[in-house]
Amino acid sequence: MSLIITEQLTKTFNGTSAVDGLNLSIKEGICTALLGPNGAGKTTTLNMLTGLMNPTSGTITFDQRYRGDRRQFIGYLPQYPKFYGWMTGEEYVVYAGQLGGLSKIDATKKTEELLSLVGLDDSKKKRIAGYSGGMKQRLGIAQALVHSPKLIILDEPVSALDPIGRRDVLELMRKLKEKTSILFSTHVLHDAEEICDDIFIVKDGKVVIEGDLVELQRKYQKPTIYLETEESIEYWSHSIKNMDWLRHMQGTKNKLTITVNDIDVAREALLSNETLRKLKITNFEIAKTTLEDLFMEVTAG
Amino acid sequence: MNEILLELESIPWGLIAPLVIIQLILLVVALVDCFRHNNTNGPQWVWVLVIVFGGIIGPIVYFIFGRRND
Amino acid sequence: MNQWIILFNKEMKEAIRNFKWIWIPLVFILLGIIQPVTSYFLPDILKNFGGFPEGSMLEFPLPTGPQVLAETIGQFGQIGVLVIVLAFMGIVAGERNSGTNIMVLVKPVSYVAYIVSKWLHMSLLAISSFSIGFLLASYYTFQLIESVPISYVIKGAVVYSIWLLFVTTLVLFFSVLFKSNAGVAALTLGITIIISLMSSITPDLLRWSPGMIASHSHSIFQSGEAGEYFWLSISCTIVLIILMIILSIINFKNKETVTHTT
Ligand SMILES: Nc1ncnc2c1ncn2[C@@H]1O[C@H](COP(=O)(O)OP(=O)(O)OP(=O)(O)O)[C@@H](O)[C@H]1O
Ligand SMILES: [Mg+2]
Repeated sequence: MSLIITEQLTKTFNGTSAVDGLNLSIKEGICTALLGPNGAGKTTTLNMLTGLMNPTSGTITFDQRYRGDRRQFIGYLPQYPKFYGWMTGEEYVVYAGQLGGLSKIDATKKTEELLSLVGLDDSKKKRIAGYSGGMKQRLGIAQALVHSPKLIILDEPVSALDPIGRRDVLELMRKLKEKTSILFSTHVLHDAEEICDDIFIVKDGKVVIEGDLVELQRKYQKPTIYLETEESIEYWSHSIKNMDWLRHMQGTKNKLTITVNDIDVAREALLSNETLRKLKITNFEIAKTTLEDLFMEVTAG
Repeated sequence: MNEILLELESIPWGLIAPLVIIQLILLVVALVDCFRHNNTNGPQWVWVLVIVFGGIIGPIVYFIFGRRND
Repeated sequence: MNQWIILFNKEMKEAIRNFKWIWIPLVFILLGIIQPVTSYFLPDILKNFGGFPEGSMLEFPLPTGPQVLAETIGQFGQIGVLVIVLAFMGIVAGERNSGTNIMVLVKPVSYVAYIVSKWLHMSLLAISSFSIGFLLASYYTFQLIESVPISYVIKGAVVYSIWLLFVTTLVLFFSVLFKSNAGVAALTLGITIIISLMSSITPDLLRWSPGMIASHSHSIFQSGEAGEYFWLSISCTIVLIILMIILSIINFKNKETVTHTT
């Protein structure tokens, strides 16, 4: 069952498409990642899903079971959350909860709970103007959760954080996953691999790769050979460019990473190559690619 | 000399005093605000001067243009 | 309804913390006191420092009570309105520019409640400041100059409040339309000045206009009776206020909350 389905979702700014015919389907009960490099259109997409931006064309359909204003069912953390600096952290989350439909008492209770969950207990009575970036990020997560939405949308929740904050927030998201559906954007594959189930890789406003993370990992794992030589390997590498076992090749002066179709054929061909042997091989390793390589491949070109 | 003293006596000070008090309140509130959040538009000391030496409108000008909204 | 109260309370809390609820009323109080006091002392000052030859028979009569009240209204109409416009020019645009409206409007918040609660709060602050300032102005006028029937004073003040509501509505309207605070202030002040001027230059053409309200309240102070076509200009003003609020809401709804992503 999908919570949100978009069809041909498009957003154009002065003639250039930031989001270009996006078809997404965000499933309930799991964590979905929107992965893409800077400028891929992630923020633009999320803004349309939350209703903050109007699509130029295309449709967004929210699950039929949840009727009415879809903002009721969504909690949102913007990429750069802006708070009322004159409020305290506690006041802000209570306010957000009340706007989300909670009574004052419920909002206060929920705020208490959430602020200790995100680790802001000690500073909840301080004015937000005095919060650090990391504290604001965590406060932003608390305000997104306060009205118990069906789906929380987090725009680059960990990008602005230091390694410890990053781990904390990812850990928190792992916990949240049990209770709510999560859609989050990131430009780091590693973050997505750590917690998400489904993944959409976007580039230039289009989905390039999508699907179940585990399946994708299996599908796109390609046998790879890492090659190191004492002498420069650059010139020689041109000689295998057109071999039919070769998929992709990338390297520096003395190192080469070769992704291949058939590992047996490739190994045979390489090890029997006289010219290569003369370059004095120091390392010959066979491994499997990760999604990272794939991500680099699709987003670099 | 006597005349001036008479004049001074005839001035209803009870009615004028509130003006002074109000201006003092404005001055103090503006100064407190200016010092408490040092988030003024432009250098803080300039605003302190404006508040203190700007007469009646000093504090008002500070409240309108001196505070950065947060 | 609940949401209206929550949004209104937020406006209230904000304006208390940034001292708007202190300094704006104080400005009106100052204006309200200064006008009767200067009217009272003006003849003395002119006599002593006016440079007229000793023993000249010039008389400087005290103005009447209604005149002083009308002059006070004049001060409120200039400095008071200026202060209100400058204090609230960012009422909608401010949150848009800073982006603080995003996490509010992404909650199931009614756009009508968001806009109207802002208008209500701004209007309450304006009317309260005017009322307390005018209360003191009347007290000083009664003490120093002469009494005016209380019912005239109250009626005139209520009528003038409608003009102030017209001004706050203009601020709201332009703050929804434009990003620039300076632009909002300039447009609002420009329009109020033009309307007031035109109404005093060609009252016959502008019987209906909100700019007539001040002169109606003056004549109420004098005689308890408003001038001709009073109800025309009052109803036109109220219709304009309602229309501008509706247009503000529509404009606000039609605008994208987020227009750029960086
Ligand atoms: N108001 C605008 N006018 C013109 N172009 C815009 C506007 N807003 C966004 N864009 C462009 O749309 C594209 C997508 O931007 P978006 O912020 O959605 O990307 P993103 O994936 O969130 O990037 P990042 O990782 O940097 O946050 C960018 O090329 C950006 O320059
Ligand atoms: Mg972004």
